[in-house]
Amino acid sequence: MTADDFLTVTDLHAGYGEARVLHGVNLSVGRGEICAILGPNGAGKTTLLRALSGMVRVRGAVRLDGADLTRRPPDAVARRGVAHVPEGRGTFMPLTVEENLRLGAFVRRGRGEVEADLERIYGYFPVLRERLRQPAGSLSGGEQQMLAIGRALMLRPRLLLLDEPSLGLAPMVTRELFRIVQTINEQERTTVVVVEQNAHLALDVAGRAHVLETGRIVLSGSAEQIRADEQVAQSYLGYRV
Amino acid sequence: MSGPTEVTDKPAPAAAPARGGVLARVTGAGWRRPAVAVLLVLACYAPFQLVPFRVFQLTMVLVYAVALLGLNLLVGHAGQISLGHGAFMAVGAYGAAIMLDRWDVPHLVTLPVAAGLAFVLGLGLGLPAVRLRGLYLALVTLAIAIFLVPLLKRFESVTGGSMGLTLPKPAPPAWTGLAEDQWLYFLALAVTVAAFLLAHGLLRSRVGRALHAVRDNETAAEVMGVRLPFYKRLAFAWSAMFAGAAGCVYTWVIGFVSPDSFAVTLSITLLAGLVVGGLGSFAGPLLGGLFVMFVPSISQDINDAAPGVIFGLLIIVVMYVAPTGLAGLAGRLARSTKRILRKE
Ligand SMILES: Nc1ncnc2c1ncn2[C@@H]1O[C@H](COP(=O)(O)OP(=O)(O)OP(=O)(O)O)[C@@H](O)[C@H]1O
Ligand SMILES: [Mg+2]
Repeated sequence: MTADDFLTVTDLHAGYGEARVLHGVNLSVGRGEICAILGPNGAGKTTLLRALSGMVRVRGAVRLDGADLTRRPPDAVARRGVAHVPEGRGTFMPLTVEENLRLGAFVRRGRGEVEADLERIYGYFPVLRERLRQPAGSLSGGEQQMLAIGRALMLRPRLLLLDEPSLGLAPMVTRELFRIVQTINEQERTTVVVVEQNAHLALDVAGRAHVLETGRIVLSGSAEQIRADEQVAQSYLGYRV
Repeated sequence: MSGPTEVTDKPAPAAAPARGGVLARVTGAGWRRPAVAVLLVLACYAPFQLVPFRVFQLTMVLVYAVALLGLNLLVGHAGQISLGHGAFMAVGAYGAAIMLDRWDVPHLVTLPVAAGLAFVLGLGLGLPAVRLRGLYLALVTLAIAIFLVPLLKRFESVTGGSMGLTLPKPAPPAWTGLAEDQWLYFLALAVTVAAFLLAHGLLRSRVGRALHAVRDNETAAEVMGVRLPFYKRLAFAWSAMFAGAAGCVYTWVIGFVSPDSFAVTLSITLLAGLVVGGLGSFAGPLLGGLFVMFVPSISQDINDAAPGVIFGLLIIVVMYVAPTGLAGLAGRLARSTKRILRKE
């Protein structure tokens, strides 16, 4: 653990009622870093993100920039600058694109800033500007994912949690999306934790990566180290080193 | 600097399946204002052209519309369900009745008190409700409605028991030159307009945006910092408040309250009326008010057992033909008319 750890997770346990999913996760993410979480289906990746943003009961500790976030309700976590793009995008289907984006700034005050941020988001995703008054449910899958990320950025997050942004998207679109995430990370110094099935892409943009299996971190390292790991290569990258 | 990059993706499908709320909003942009103005003029003109009984019926349509505004907030905008909305109407009606009966409180004072009482009860009953969803929530709210009638009958000394309470109606001031039915009508109209303005102000505010978020995706709303329990409870309280106000005006208009006027069927009729009128739409509560007022009484004329049958059939037909209710249907017609006109 270094002095510049932005997010630290210590011995985190979480689950749903009787079903225990996370069994003592330890993790630290540096300030301004992109961190990838890899792992098979059902490993608890989504649950980990939900635990970070206060949506499931946890035991253990979550600290963000020195502040204790453990067992805080989701709105308190959001107020602390954690934006979560949930699995499946969480589009407000009948609302317009613009209304979706504005809801992203729900916990923020200050109208002028919100207007400026809308412009910033259109800068990243020009297609959203063209679709402003359209019901978000009429967007394509890729556009909805852009909307979900744009909406999360409206919070001006210090920490951005992305749950499988590639789900259901064409490889081309996914690649572009990751490039934008990288741009956001560079330009706004937003720390990113991304859960991803597409390990190739995730490892391309991430500095560090962790492998989660049945509720435990079984491997951590730099993206290069993880990529070079034989076990990972077989399970997640589809080739032998 | 790499700069923002544009992501190309396949174009979106042209039309989106949307709820009544969106349909009404999309179509309402241009013609809603003039339509409301015309409607208001007609509404002020009508009581001078109709016989007292018709004026009374229109007054009741307004009373139900106010109650449905509340139910629309809860069901159409916040995505919750209530089979007990009639109970909050009863709270307002009995609240006003008891104030009039016991303490001779002026009529106008009973309105804010009755509404406030219902609001507070809504907050209280909203507490267990926020933990429940769907069928469970439907059952709990239904239980409230079922529980109410025997409760009202039980405390006879205050509520008048099954006999109910008879009360003075507000008298028209001499300067208006209005007959009693006309005066009651205008009182109800004023409350309706105020209620519409309030509901719309609410929906355009931060609270309204939060309610829509809760309705459309609880998980996403939550991670965006919308406190689910708080806003669900608030939706219950607001919706109860409108029902309470409607109940109070009901007491003014009828001059009589009895437990059987607020039986479970009223709650179910209200929900059916709203669904038929158009959930989450602007005109839904008004159209629903017409439904609640006229459908049961017209079908009663056919046969004693007819109301249930006709209700069921109407709901099924509306759901098939116009899943966004009559308001959505009207919006669709308006838009296709506009399209045809533009082509010429
Ligand atoms: N709401 C829930 N209630 C009960 N159990 C749940 C719930 N959500 C997830 N689980 C269980 O928790 C375990 C981990 O689920 P989770 O969604 O965190 O996995 P994941 O790593 O995100 O998987 P995937 O890659 O398929 O998204 C699974 O066994 C799942 O069945
Ligand atoms: Mg998952």
